[in-house]
Amino acid sequence: MTVKTFPRGIFLPHYKEFSEHEAITSISLPKEIIIPLQQHIGAPCQALVKVGDRVTAGQKIGQSEAFVCAPIHASLDGTVIAVEPRPNFNGKNVESVVIAVDPDQIEPTWPERDTDKLSTAEIRSAIKEAGIVGMGGATFPTHVKLSPPKPIDTIIINACECEPFLTCDHRMMLEMTEALVEGARLIARVVDAPHIVFGVEINKPDALEAIKSNLGRDEHITIVPLAVKYPQGSEKQLIKASIDREVPPGKLPLEVGVVVQNVATAIAVYEACRYQKPSYERVLTVSGDAIVRPSNLKVKIGTPIGFIIKECGGIKGAPTGVESDEEWFSVPLPKADPAGKIILGGPMTGWSQSRLDIPVTKGTSGILVFSPQMITETDYKDCVRCGKCVEHCPMFLYPNFIGLYTEQGRYDLAAEWGAIDCFECGICVYVCPSNRPIVHFVRETKEQIAAAARAAQNK
Amino acid sequence: MADTQFSVTTSPHLRTTVTVSSAMRDVLYALAPITLVSIYWFKFNAVFLIAVCLIVAMLTELLFRKAMNKPATLKDGSALVTGLLVALCSGGCSAWWVGALATFIAVGIAKELMGGLGWNRFNPAAFGRISVFLLTPFFYWLGLAFSPLQASFGGLDVITSATPLALLKQGTALPDLGSLFLSFPGGALGETSALALLIGGAYLLYKEHIRWHIPVSIVAGVFVMALLFGDHSTTPFYLTPFYHIFSGGVLLGALFMATDWVTSPITPRGRVIFGLAIGILLMIFRLALGPTEGTCFSILIMNAFVPLIDRLTRQRKFGEAPARPAPVAVKPSLEKSS
Ligand code: SF4
Ligand code: SF4
Repeated sequence: MTVKTFPRGIFLPHYKEFSEHEAITSISLPKEIIIPLQQHIGAPCQALVKVGDRVTAGQKIGQSEAFVCAPIHASLDGTVIAVEPRPNFNGKNVESVVIAVDPDQIEPTWPERDTDKLSTAEIRSAIKEAGIVGMGGATFPTHVKLSPPKPIDTIIINACECEPFLTCDHRMMLEMTEALVEGARLIARVVDAPHIVFGVEINKPDALEAIKSNLGRDEHITIVPLAVKYPQGSEKQLIKASIDREVPPGKLPLEVGVVVQNVATAIAVYEACRYQKPSYERVLTVSGDAIVRPSNLKVKIGTPIGFIIKECGGIKGAPTGVESDEEWFSVPLPKADPAGKIILGGPMTGWSQSRLDIPVTKGTSGILVFSPQMITETDYKDCVRCGKCVEHCPMFLYPNFIGLYTEQGRYDLAAEWGAIDCFECGICVYVCPSNRPIVHFVRETKEQIAAAARAAQNK
Repeated sequence: MADTQFSVTTSPHLRTTVTVSSAMRDVLYALAPITLVSIYWFKFNAVFLIAVCLIVAMLTELLFRKAMNKPATLKDGSALVTGLLVALCSGGCSAWWVGALATFIAVGIAKELMGGLGWNRFNPAAFGRISVFLLTPFFYWLGLAFSPLQASFGGLDVITSATPLALLKQGTALPDLGSLFLSFPGGALGETSALALLIGGAYLLYKEHIRWHIPVSIVAGVFVMALLFGDHSTTPFYLTPFYHIFSGGVLLGALFMATDWVTSPITPRGRVIFGLAIGILLMIFRLALGPTEGTCFSILIMNAFVPLIDRLTRQRKFGEAPARPAPVAVKPSLEKSS
C-alpha cells in the first residue's frame, strides 16, 4: 500500500482514542431549538415563519432568492416562539428561529426514489432544496459547488478527518458506507466527472476496508490511502496528495478540474436524492479530556451545545450532586478559573465558546470540552526567527513576517508575505516557541485589506 | 444566560510543548559534554571562566532590561546560552575579565540594545568575542590593570594554549587526527573535543531545534576549501580538511553559533547559502591571516547578509509557479503600533 501525502504540514497527536469506537447514537429531545437563518457562506435566509406558527420536522423555515445560499429547515416539530438575533458560534448575533419543541414527535417519513432515474438537474435541485452545505466546516452551499463554470474530471471525497479528536466522519464511513459511496456517485454524475477518488488517512483501516468492499467492480473509483498528517483534509493539500495537482493561490479546486466533498456532505446528498430529506440533522463528535462520555451523536440542527454536553454526562471535575443552575441546557462547571474551554469544530480550526446556548449548525463537526490543563495559551513574545512556522506551513508562506508586519500595522507587507493565502490551519501557532498568535494576525490583516478595498470602492 | 468562565481564544487550541525556554535549556544540555571536557583539561580555570561569563550574562541582561523598563526575560535562558558560548570561545588560559567584557558586550549591546531576543541581527556571542578581540590592543592598559587580579590556579603545565592550527602553521609536531577528534587541549575551551561537540549537535538535531543545512554546508565549505587550497606539506592532502574541521572552533561555530535561530536565514535554501559562505570565508581568513577568530568573523559577516539572503531565496507559494520577485525589504522596526 503506497501512502501518499502533501509537502510540509505536521504530525499532530490525534486524541481520537476518546471516541473512535463509539457507535453513532442519538440524544433525548431538547426543550427548545435555536435555528440560525444563516448557516452557510453566502446570503442569509429570510424567515418563512413567524412567532406562534406550528412547524414540523423538515419544513422549510428560511430561504432566499440569492444563488449562493442554502435554505433552512425546522429540525423538530414545535411552535415558533421567537424570530430574533441569537448568539452564534462565531461570536456574532445571527437572526434565528427559536422553536419550542413538542414533547411528542411524529417521526417523519420520506418517500424513496430510484436515484438512478434522476436527471442531473433533478439531483442538483434536490441538493439545493435540502439546504446542503459543506459539512466539514466550510459551509459553502453544495449546489453552488456542483455548478462549476469549468469541466471537472475528478471528484475527491475528503475522508481524511485530519483534525485531532474528531471521529464522526470515521464513524459515518463505517456505519453509512453505502450511502457514502452512492452519494459520491451522485455528485460525480451532477458534474459529469469520470473519476471518483476517496482520500482516506491510514489511521482508519476499517473505514478503508468498508469503502473498498462497497465499491464492487467500479473502475471509476479509486481509494487513496493518505498519511496521517495535518492538514491532510484541507482541499488543496488533499488534491496535491491524492492526484498531484496544485491549485494556484486564490483559486478554487475547480481550476484544476476537481471538486472536493466531505464524507458527511456526500451522505447528505445521497439522502436528499433518495428520500428528499433536508439537511436538518448531522453527526458530530463530542470529545475532549473533560467530557464524561465521549460520543459520536446524531443531533438536530439548533440543539444548544450545553444540552448536548449534559447528555454526554457533563463536564469532568464539576461538583456532583448539585443540579445545574436555572437553565435546562446548562451543566455544573468545574470550580477552576477558567473552567476550561469549549470548542466547536476541531482543536486546530474550531471556535472557542463562552456560552452554552450556542446552537449546533450544519457545519459543526464536533464539540470539544477541554479541562484547564489543556489550555496552553500563554502570553506571546517576540519572534525568534526559529523558522519552524516557515518549515511547516502547508501553503509555503512566511507566518513570521505576517506576524511582524501585522503588529506594525503594515498590512500591505503582511499580505505580500502571504496573509491572504493563509487558510488558517493553525500549524504556525502550534509550532511557535514564542507562542505567537499568527492566525489572529492573519485575520486582522484580512479584515484590514478587505476594509481598504471597500473604502476604495466607495470613493 | 450569563457568560460562563470558559477561556475564549483564537484557534488553534493546541500547542507543542516546545518553548523558547525549553529550547534554550536543550541547547545548554547539548553544550554540557564540551563544557565537561574543557573542565577536564583546564580544571579550575575553565570553571572560573565559565562561571564568570554566566554570571555576567545574567547580570547584564537584568541590568539592561531594568534600565529600559522592560519585563525580565532571564527565564528564557538565552543569556545563559550566550554566556556559555562566549566562555567556550575563549582560550583556556585567557583572562577572566576578557570573558566578562565579551559577555557584557554580547548580552548588553549585541542583544538587549538591539531590542532583545529576536531583534538582534548579529550572533551575540560572536559579536562579543570579536569586539573584545578588536578592542584589546587599544586597551592594553586594561590588561595591565587587571593582571594582578588574574587568578592563577596552576596545574596547567600539560596545556598548550596554541591551537592545532597554530601548530600546523609553525610546522611543529601535530597531534594525530584521532586525538584531535576525541579530545585535545589546545585553543579555546570549546575546541577541546570534536566528539563532544558532535554529540551535542546530534542532540539538537534530534530535538529538531536545528536542521542539518547550516552545519553540513559550513563543514562542506571548509572541506572543499581545505582540499583545494590547504597546506598539504605536513599532512597527506586527504587528511588536511579534517584537521581544519576538527580544530579552531569550526564545529562549535557550525553547530552552535551559526545555527542560532535569530541570526540565520529562515528557509533551508537560504541556510545552505549562508553555511557555504561561512565555510568559505572562514577558510579564507585562516589561509590568509592565520589562526585568528575566523569562525566568529565569518559568522558575523554572514549575519549581515541574512535579510538579503531571505529575500533572494524567497520560496514560492503553494500552487504558484517558481521564481517570483521578492518584495522590497522593509526592516521591521522595533516600534509596535498598537
Ligand atoms: S500561515 Fe496560515 S496556512 Fe500557513 S501555517 Fe499559519 S495558519 Fe497555516
Ligand atoms: S515559529 Fe514563531 S518564533 Fe519561530 S519564526 Fe515563526 S513566528 Fe518566529
